[in-house]
Amino acid sequence: MMMDSSSFVAADSSRCTGCRACEVACFAAHNGGLGYTVGTVGVPVTARLYLTRVGNLCMPVQCRHCENSPCLNSCTAGAIRREEGSIVIEEAACIGCKNCMMACPFGAIELVPVYREGRRIMQQGGGEQRKTAHKCDLCIKNDGQACIEACPNQALVLVNPKEDLKEKRRQAAMALALTKGV
Amino acid sequence: MIPVIAIDQELCTGCQECTKVCPVSAIEGEPGEPQKINVDRCVMCGQCVQKCKAYLSVLEHGQEAYEKKKKERKLPVTVKEPLFAAYNVCHLEELKSALENPELFTMVQAAPAVRVGIAEDFGMDLGTLAAGKMAAALRRLGFDKVYDTNFAADLTIMEEASELVHRVTDGGTLPMFTSCCPAWVTFLEKNYPEFLGNLSSCKSPQQMGGAVFKSYGAQLEKLEGSRVYSASIMPCTCKEFECSRKEMKDSGWQDVDVVITTRELAYLLKEKGIDFEELPEEPFDMPLGDYTGAGAIFGATGGVMEAAIRTGYQMITGEEIPDVRVEEVRGTQGFRCAELKVGNLILKVGVVTGLKNVIPVLSDIEAGRLDIHFLEVMTCPQGCVSGGGQPKLLLDTKIPEAYAARRSALFEYDEELPVRKSHENPGVQQLYKEFLEKPNSSITHHLLHTTYGD
Repeated sequence: MMMDSSSFVAADSSRCTGCRACEVACFAAHNGGLGYTVGTVGVPVTARLYLTRVGNLCMPVQCRHCENSPCLNSCTAGAIRREEGSIVIEEAACIGCKNCMMACPFGAIELVPVYREGRRIMQQGGGEQRKTAHKCDLCIKNDGQACIEACPNQALVLVNPKEDLKEKRRQAAMALALTKGV
Repeated sequence: MIPVIAIDQELCTGCQECTKVCPVSAIEGEPGEPQKINVDRCVMCGQCVQKCKAYLSVLEHGQEAYEKKKKERKLPVTVKEPLFAAYNVCHLEELKSALENPELFTMVQAAPAVRVGIAEDFGMDLGTLAAGKMAAALRRLGFDKVYDTNFAADLTIMEEASELVHRVTDGGTLPMFTSCCPAWVTFLEKNYPEFLGNLSSCKSPQQMGGAVFKSYGAQLEKLEGSRVYSASIMPCTCKEFECSRKEMKDSGWQDVDVVITTRELAYLLKEKGIDFEELPEEPFDMPLGDYTGAGAIFGATGGVMEAAIRTGYQMITGEEIPDVRVEEVRGTQGFRCAELKVGNLILKVGVVTGLKNVIPVLSDIEAGRLDIHFLEVMTCPQGCVSGGGQPKLLLDTKIPEAYAARRSALFEYDEELPVRKSHENPGVQQLYKEFLEKPNSSITHHLLHTTYGD
């Protein structure tokens, strides 16, 4: 039996222009209470995927929802769990220890200051703003993925490893069948 | 020329998405490198400002960088929204100091499209009509008179429809082109000067409004025009340029002193702590804030044409138009044509929306392949509702819904208004009776008309 593997969003650097529409859409999808327009935004834009440029190449980098999730395994607070095939961080439980940031081989987790309804959320008993780990959750609360929908160049796709393998094997089989006919 | 549109070299990622919406290929640069605006080509429509998503990330660049950029762009310190690479120059500081100057008598006008956009920046639904709240908001800001561009739009129709009738019956240059959209006028000046004679000599509603405020409006207050400060709230970034044109001083002073966009009005209201959603519905001030449904639809593509036909029909035939709804010119296609029976005349009209779409139309006119009397041209995708100064959408996927909602809000508003033809506007009638005499009189020619491209 083939095991189900988590899906993940992947970028095609040959299509990505670096416009950051995916980041803005990611921010909008994860911040309740926003209207439709930029004017309704009252907190810093924080996305869960990160436009990254290397020489002439650019693409957003985001979580792979690893099967043996280093982040989940490293979390001392038990704040990371697998839910419906997606690795999610329960931000209320996060202590900001950065273990997951260090464990993630993709740099897909960032510590982000917390806001609620446009206000900074402070640490208990401290004068500093609360920060929690922050990563792609595959838009688990919505239909579809905001970044994929927002990309004007179709540079982002949701990879379903099982379907991906099936398709590759189908193509391989077709190619082999053709070879045999020669 | 005052700078209007700029691209921040520190924020631009060189994605070139803006080049896809720029109608005049004015954005130049290598992919992946910060882009520059070629000011010789730019028509200041601000579509790049609407498109750009290259934001200043507080996490990446720091809070200090954000505050510094806000200061550089002369935005209020209370602004909290993200800043993007493409932006328009903000004139709020000038407006604020005028509002605080006790020597000045301030008069404001707001374009038709502003009232179906502004509420979106306060979290209300796309295309929410907020005419009464907008009038209340402007009053709370301290303007002495809350007048309206819709009034000036009705006035524009009186002049423009008269001019059209004159050109059609007395053999003037045809087709006549509308001149309300300053980006279109600028485009024609820069690229097709041979067509400047086709432009209506009418100033835009904004400029007619400003000229009337500082002449008749000043008279009503028993003031010198020099003491009137005239401000505009516009859905458009190019209006900032239009008001500074040398032709726009026929009142004896600069007719419109300052222009701010719909978005900047929202910044100002937030800075002053005015809760837009909680404001009551208030009327505009009379007589220069009186308006009809014809003035209201100026903000959507085809609206100027429809308003002109409602009045032109009566001017030509002496009878009321049987149906005020001129469905033939509505819609959102980039170019549409209609033939309308006006008495014994078949009036042939065209409507262009999206500046790129005018190029083949001009070629066809030049080659004699297109025979029309009157052409409306608006630079932005669906007219002023989609202007470069309107609330900017977080998601481009919401654009079709937003434009449709704003457009239909204007047409529904027209249906609700008690008067729907510009020539029936009581304020406009009073203005002609007491001051302007009649359409295309020598005084209107001095104050409300101009020539471009000198």
